[in-house]
Amino acid sequence: MEAETKSGRLSTIAAHPLAELLECPPETGKLLNGTAACTVCEAGDVVFRQETECKGLYVLVSGQFVRSTERMKARLTLGPARAGELVELAAALGDGHHTYTLRALTQGTILLLTKESLQLAFESYPPLRMRLLEELAREVSRAYISCSLTRKTPARRQSAGANPG
Amino acid sequence: MAGLHSHHPPEDCLNCEHRHLRMFCNLTPEALADYDAIGIMMSHARGAKLFSEGDAARNVFVICYGQVKISSTSRDGKTMILKIAGPGDVMGLSAVLANVAHEVTAEAIEPCQVKTVRKQEFVDFLGRHGIASMHAAQSLSGEYLTVFHDAKRLALSGSAAGRLARLLLDWGTAAAPGKPEIRFTMALTHEEIANMAGTSRETVTRLLNQFRRDQWIVIKGASLTIVKPDQLERLTA
Repeated sequence: MEAETKSGRLSTIAAHPLAELLECPPETGKLLNGTAACTVCEAGDVVFRQETECKGLYVLVSGQFVRSTERMKARLTLGPARAGELVELAAALGDGHHTYTLRALTQGTILLLTKESLQLAFESYPPLRMRLLEELAREVSRAYISCSLTRKTPARRQSAGANPG
Repeated sequence: MAGLHSHHPPEDCLNCEHRHLRMFCNLTPEALADYDAIGIMMSHARGAKLFSEGDAARNVFVICYGQVKISSTSRDGKTMILKIAGPGDVMGLSAVLANVAHEVTAEAIEPCQVKTVRKQEFVDFLGRHGIASMHAAQSLSGEYLTVFHDAKRLALSGSAAGRLARLLLDWGTAAAPGKPEIRFTMALTHEEIANMAGTSRETVTRLLNQFRRDQWIVIKGASLTIVKPDQLERLTA
């Protein structure tokens, strides 16, 4: 598949708007709002750290954030996260541990929908779970396509004397 | 990479003796009865393609036994292997739920049995059973982590030896979780391993021989045992 086609496909699986994703009947909305924890963070604050337990789904209300991952002493910046984004669907719905570290670049506000309140909301309004599942599927699809667009297969050694490592 | 599984195909989901060990199929009796009633069991020979990148996603596939190579084409048009899926893994789920074409190609690397469920049937099944959607979320989360770790392994491991060591450790941990002996079946060729480790086939052959000479690993046929995981771990630093 051509790289251009893949780039085009990325736009068809863009994240859906937050209001659409979290739309639910008033009683489920009240349940989520009633248990949501709002946090104000300053520039440089770590919202959550890679590999720690995920408490729930994070809604970025305002400010700018950056995702990064590290192993040993190496660190890789994954990209920005902005207001209006739903963060850590994979960890909140599945594995339960943060995949990366989220840090505030500017002052910002974050809403945390705890796993427990999400579970109650899913029971009260099952289509919400399905909608978030579909959003997670889009995120996985984007990850697959981004990975194939950024990764290059290794070149074969050109000469016997070349250092492959 | 899961190498420890039975080759006795289950006749149906209700009588499958392995389902308690499988992430997706470990359902409540009610959900299991419903799951058993949908889809069909299909046997695939080694080399059979279950679906190809770019194909319309019409089915979800759950592996009952056997191993399937999940690959994609890179920017420069070459094939890159993302993971080896094993029993209990769900394939094609992200494309079905995101309503897009398959992002990857799935090819059997050994004879396997796969439960194949039509898209709408599977979506309806998830809608009926909360536990099934929970397992689907775990499966998607696992897929996400696989892609993430693949990118991370290539980006953050400085040397080819480190990347190969990481790959062997990941496979070993997946095949023998919590067991004292880290052993798994290496179903991939050196060329394919090279592809996953972001290096050349020659380097993989050289490094595996080096690891064997140093007695960090033991290779017997397709079986690989990691004898000194701490030494491999040190390489990944």
